[in-house]
Amino acid sequence: MKTVSGDLAKTKAALKKLLPAGDILLFDFASEKGLLFTCVFADPVTDKDLLGEQVVKPLLAYGGSPSAEEVGKRLAFAELKREKSLEKLAAEVLAGNPVLLWEGMDEGLVVGTKKVFARAVAEPPTDVTIKGPREGFVEDVKINASLVRKRLKTGELRIESFEVGRRSKTAVFLCYLEGTSDKKTVDGVKKRLKEIDIDYVPDSSYLTHFLSSRPYSLVKQIGTTEKPDIFCAKIAEGRVGLLVDGSPIALTAPYLLVEDFQSSEDYFVPPYRATFTRLLRLFALVVAIYLPAFYVAAQLFKLQLFPIKLLLTIAGSIRDIPFSPSLEMLLVCLVLEVLNEASIRMPKYVGMALSVVGALVLGETAVSAGFVSTPAIIIIAFSGIGLYAVPNLIEQTSVLRLVMLLVAGSVGTYGVILATAFVVLHLVTTENFGAPLVAPFSPMIGRDLRDSLVKFNLRSLPLRPKTLKSPNKRRLG
Amino acid sequence: MNKISARQILLFLACIAPVGKLVLLPARLADASQNDLLFPFLLHILVQTGAVFCVLLAAKKETDLMGLLRNTFGKGAAFVLTALFSLFLLFSALLPLLEQKHFVQGAFYDTLPSVLVFSPFFLFAAYLCSKPLGSCGRVWDIVAPLAAAGLVGILILSAGSADLTALSPAGAAGGRGFLQGVRSACGWFCDAALLVPLLGKIEYKRGLAWKGAVCYLAGGAAALLFTAVFYGIFQETAINQLFAFTATSKYFAGVTTLGRIDYLFIFLLSLSMAYYVSLPLHGSVDCLLQLFGRRKHLPAILSAAVALLFTVITLSLDYRFGDVLSLLTGSLFWLFPLFSVLLPPLTLFLRRDRRA
Repeated sequence: MKTVSGDLAKTKAALKKLLPAGDILLFDFASEKGLLFTCVFADPVTDKDLLGEQVVKPLLAYGGSPSAEEVGKRLAFAELKREKSLEKLAAEVLAGNPVLLWEGMDEGLVVGTKKVFARAVAEPPTDVTIKGPREGFVEDVKINASLVRKRLKTGELRIESFEVGRRSKTAVFLCYLEGTSDKKTVDGVKKRLKEIDIDYVPDSSYLTHFLSSRPYSLVKQIGTTEKPDIFCAKIAEGRVGLLVDGSPIALTAPYLLVEDFQSSEDYFVPPYRATFTRLLRLFALVVAIYLPAFYVAAQLFKLQLFPIKLLLTIAGSIRDIPFSPSLEMLLVCLVLEVLNEASIRMPKYVGMALSVVGALVLGETAVSAGFVSTPAIIIIAFSGIGLYAVPNLIEQTSVLRLVMLLVAGSVGTYGVILATAFVVLHLVTTENFGAPLVAPFSPMIGRDLRDSLVKFNLRSLPLRPKTLKSPNKRRLG
Repeated sequence: MNKISARQILLFLACIAPVGKLVLLPARLADASQNDLLFPFLLHILVQTGAVFCVLLAAKKETDLMGLLRNTFGKGAAFVLTALFSLFLLFSALLPLLEQKHFVQGAFYDTLPSVLVFSPFFLFAAYLCSKPLGSCGRVWDIVAPLAAAGLVGILILSAGSADLTALSPAGAAGGRGFLQGVRSACGWFCDAALLVPLLGKIEYKRGLAWKGAVCYLAGGAAALLFTAVFYGIFQETAINQLFAFTATSKYFAGVTTLGRIDYLFIFLLSLSMAYYVSLPLHGSVDCLLQLFGRRKHLPAILSAAVALLFTVITLSLDYRFGDVLSLLTGSLFWLFPLFSVLLPPLTLFLRRDRRA
């Protein structure tokens, strides 16, 4: 391992060899007493104003000995670190922290004047609440950590730093409450984080692939949230949280499927209202997944499933449709998916026009031209809205809806029942970090059912969820 | 996931086990017992309750079937007996599988579809069998409430159309009708045998055997009630109603205006039945794994082999269901009580520890 030598010229040359990029600058200056300093920094990611004010200016008047301790005292800067290894110094420079070298010293001083690029803390667009906190995570991991620390003012909160990504060296903060989170889960997350060997981590979603026990499964196995209040509540329950630099989406483990049927607002409204909305979300999701499938299966294989009057209406509307019911529904479903995908990516002003095109031109005209029937449009529209009742599961449920539709079109209702049996079996056998995905329903845990699809009064929830195996069971005094 | 909790066993016995008795059995029983179907049904439930009690008592030993047999009879005999039991489970799966196939073809389609529509079931069965047997417990936690809701829903929709006085006088068919009924229904009552592969995987709790017996009795009572309602609706024509639980509720007044809303409950029962019908296959695969050890790909290979075998059997017996039914409820009927009535109490005498 190469280290800093007392010869400043040699050290500079060695560092320049390690960091040949054009945006790595070396700035030389001398103190009043003639001590030569060199500051190495990455131009785009270093706060140069801070560097000039807090580092260069005090050192210009420096007249003390060339020891690192003395220089450090002169700077009176909180984020200082001494380092001998040239590789580590180079890594710090790339992270935005300038390195100070000077003649006669065999170590460098890392100065934490990294430039922080961060947007303001704002309400996340995917998790809007009427009642309750409106802060959301941003892309800077340190700001996110401060949002967590602000809410959990306890020494038990541990925030451990990891670096993931061979080239991106993305900072990942592991957050948990010592004595509340299950040690096995904490160790398990640490182990999997250390095992990750990937070039580049642009977002927290990359980590979910490595933290999931079944990485190829359609099923979500790691919790996600953009809101610090939810993140902290989950940590306080005994979960482990991960903040990833560059991502406003924080991860939590272990994840239970029921979490996505709950919203932060459920805890700020009366429990009967929370229970009602949770059951409504489940109903909406079930209808969204199954309604198109059963409509197609009933048309193709079992007309008896329709009441006679509805059957006559449907028969009237599909009379001149050139496609089979399954193909018709599949086309409408795909058009909806395309519209949805396009409207998310397009600029807002184009999005409005797209809505008009989608609703009027495609919907209305397609019906009047006899390409698709009105019931098909109504069913897919309802299904599309229903899926968004549980927005965190949209990636999974939209695929599931399509699968059910294909199965219904080829095998009929029995195929849908079998596909459901498959899904149920897959869900109940999925575990991550020792927590069954479908708990507290399977395995059934009576105590945890009180805050699942139903929500009891806060006073009735004195204990932490049993599924999370927290060593500190009681949360209510 | 490798263990099944006491609660899961109780849920299976109370809610899922009765589902297998709601399709063809009521009509078959009405035919064989000369319309005096309640007593043979009741006898089977009582006998199975006793057998279930014995298996759950044997679960206290917390040793699997192969282990119990090995500790009692030695390695060689244990191998042969476990293999035989595995074969029986495969044999016992035949009747519910063919029944399920006919039910699917008859109840879910307006016109008779190809037998191939049932073949995805074997994909599901293969996937299920490749999982540890203990995973069934997790499934039962989810499916048992759905099965119970389905059964209760069907009963509510059907009860209004039933004339229960048609059942009286009970016992009018005499001993012959009773014995014929008992004999023909044997194939549907193998629940205690289905529990035997679960030995060693059940988390035994005090009183499990009693609770299990009570739950099985309760589930059996619900199935018996359904059978009574079924007969109360169709009476002498009951023998022609091959898919009982899709037939009873269609006379509900709301069907005219709301459509076949009873199908919501039928779907729930069919979902439960998919798991129930796969259980003997799963048990058989588990017994084979006890023989050969749970090596890396062996569960998947055995599951695929069993599923393939039954796909071939089902396809080749597509038009021979009547013959198979006559064989299983006729000359081969004794095999069912041999393994599902006589074997379960014998598990009580098997040794937990190795012979000195």
